[in-house]
Amino acid sequence: MKRTRPSNQWQGWLYVSPALLFVGVFVLIPLFQLVAMSTTDRSLLGGGRFIGLGNYIKIWNDAGFWRALMFTIKYTIVLTPILMVLGFALALLTADNTPLKRLTRTIVFLPVVIGLSSSSLLWFWLFDEQVGLLNKLMTDLHVIAQPMVWFVSADLAFWAVVISITWKVLGFGMVLFIAGIQSIDREIMEAAVVDGAGYWTRVFRIILPLSRRIILLTTLVSAIGSMLAFDQFYIMTSGGPRGQTFTAVYWIYQNSFVSFKLGYGAALSIVLTVIILVFSTLQIALTARSQAR
Amino acid sequence: MTTRTTCGALAALLITSSVFTTAACADSMTMWVRASGTNAAAHLVDLWNSTHSDKIELTTIPDNQMVTKLATGVQAGEVPDLVSFDLIYMPDFMKAGFLTDLTADLKANPNFASVAEAYVDIATYEGKIYGAGFTPDVSILIWNKDLFKKAGLDPDKPPRTIGEIHEDAKKVHALGADTYGFYFSGSCPGCNIFTTSPMMVAAGSKILPANGSDDALTGDGVKQVLETFREMWTEGLVPKSAQADNGANFTALFKSAKIGIQGCGGFLISDLKHDVPDMNFGVTFLPGVKEGHVSAFVGGDVVAIPVGSKHVPLAKAFIAWELTDEAQLEGLAKNNILPSRPALADNKYFAADPRIVTTAKALGVGYVPWVYHFADMVNSDSSPWINMLQRAIFDGDVDGAITEARDKMKAIAGE
Repeated sequence: MKRTRPSNQWQGWLYVSPALLFVGVFVLIPLFQLVAMSTTDRSLLGGGRFIGLGNYIKIWNDAGFWRALMFTIKYTIVLTPILMVLGFALALLTADNTPLKRLTRTIVFLPVVIGLSSSSLLWFWLFDEQVGLLNKLMTDLHVIAQPMVWFVSADLAFWAVVISITWKVLGFGMVLFIAGIQSIDREIMEAAVVDGAGYWTRVFRIILPLSRRIILLTTLVSAIGSMLAFDQFYIMTSGGPRGQTFTAVYWIYQNSFVSFKLGYGAALSIVLTVIILVFSTLQIALTARSQAR
Repeated sequence: MTTRTTCGALAALLITSSVFTTAACADSMTMWVRASGTNAAAHLVDLWNSTHSDKIELTTIPDNQMVTKLATGVQAGEVPDLVSFDLIYMPDFMKAGFLTDLTADLKANPNFASVAEAYVDIATYEGKIYGAGFTPDVSILIWNKDLFKKAGLDPDKPPRTIGEIHEDAKKVHALGADTYGFYFSGSCPGCNIFTTSPMMVAAGSKILPANGSDDALTGDGVKQVLETFREMWTEGLVPKSAQADNGANFTALFKSAKIGIQGCGGFLISDLKHDVPDMNFGVTFLPGVKEGHVSAFVGGDVVAIPVGSKHVPLAKAFIAWELTDEAQLEGLAKNNILPSRPALADNKYFAADPRIVTTAKALGVGYVPWVYHFADMVNSDSSPWINMLQRAIFDGDVDGAITEARDKMKAIAGE
């Protein structure tokens, strides 16, 4: 047994080496380069000298970044519960494998396969004051007296994006939740029914607790996705009105590729990565603690 | 002996064939063009390809990726032989050393002397010239003659001052609640530097600072234009949707015949003729405060040779060719595209439509700001330029908006 261990170890390393190589080349090296770049004043047009923590000090005083970050957090806090609750509700409704429910799942999942830019453009025009179908629908139904200009107010623009993204990604969470629900042992559900547990008792006492891991995964994926929001705001609001809908990534884009400040953009990216890492770790830790109880 | 003779014959054959092959084999060049300039560039490239043995392969780059692509390309040594890009990036690219010096070639070219001054200025850095006007566009004022007639205005008399724009807009708006006198895209920095800034320049103002010690937004023109726009906004002469328009509806409303007057680019003429052939519209220069004071923003693309190009002599030949009468008239004017030499505005292709002649002549009265960080000061969605317009026009704080933008522009120029 002792003789074979070194050989097994080498075999193990051999097996994981492609993955390690991939992670090294496509994750670690760019990450190190990003960190190195963040300590310079490098421009997109070239050049750049070492400035130590200069970019990080600048971030501390960059009101635009903090405003964008706060907006991103607000967006994440609002959107994530909407996606979770609606996704889970839809999963409950369509978890059984009947033809109609399979069709419903397919329809809800369809927008997931559309590119985010395409769906954002689609919703941008749906919300348009002149030719948008949503305004037309609402005026015909007498919900509003005259067409609304959705992107003229930060709040309306915010909700317009939330609606578009809910439509776009709801199906993804739903499918994950369905996988979680379908993996619950049927015998447990049958036993609960025999014991007289009603539908909502089964949902809250059996399905939800046994879906915790999938809920955590879906929440993490959704929250991280929202923290990295860019396309939908770039296309639908252009950061407006008055720069009130800039997200953190949009701010990084503005600095890196519009203002050409690659070094500063790299530092902003590092800060955002650390913030997301801290939030994700907190979320995992809190969920683990509640599971332990 | 036989072997030696055979070898000699083979060598001679190889040398001869290689010489002939070289002579007969035409070169192929690559050219990048930004998406919004592709249509115009394609006409020129097609004409070149049909009349020359050396061919050009055109690659379209999305507008917002051109700077990144070219910057990374130059640094990696992977560049096209020619590049056509938005002229406002010229100062940044020249300073960064991305472009090949064309001074000797262009100064020796007799056609270069008649290229619009704005193109020569924007392509000059420390006394050297790095590019030439390629596919121009220029801003103009456009008005709907049908709406003017209905409003009791003389359809053939365009507004000649900002004040007249305001007065005419009132009369057009009086036609009905869904007919508006004036339009501008309130959340589009690029659209407004193109159409609103020339009114300020025509009124005697300078917009952007060349460096940190230079002044920004000088003169009364900025304030006068902003105040007029503010009045038109509060009087409801501009549709509410203008406030949120990031450029997506820049021309859509005018095409729907609901707008009386609007600043736009020369490109709109062919668009209107194609999309709404029955619309009766006129074209004039963008006015200032006083009659006779006009200006325009010279836009469009310049063509240059990136450092690292593998076919520099051939690329230079193309640039020399694109300035010839043949290229300017048969490649551009024939396709309703402005020539970069204003003297060619009166040509057989434009003769049928004086509106295009007016547009071409606007090149001669136009300006283009020679500044670094143009994108940062103007084109960015958070730029001081767009913030100033929005704060002044929609919030009404004209003086505060100008002061804030002035400070921010100076700070950016000083970086």
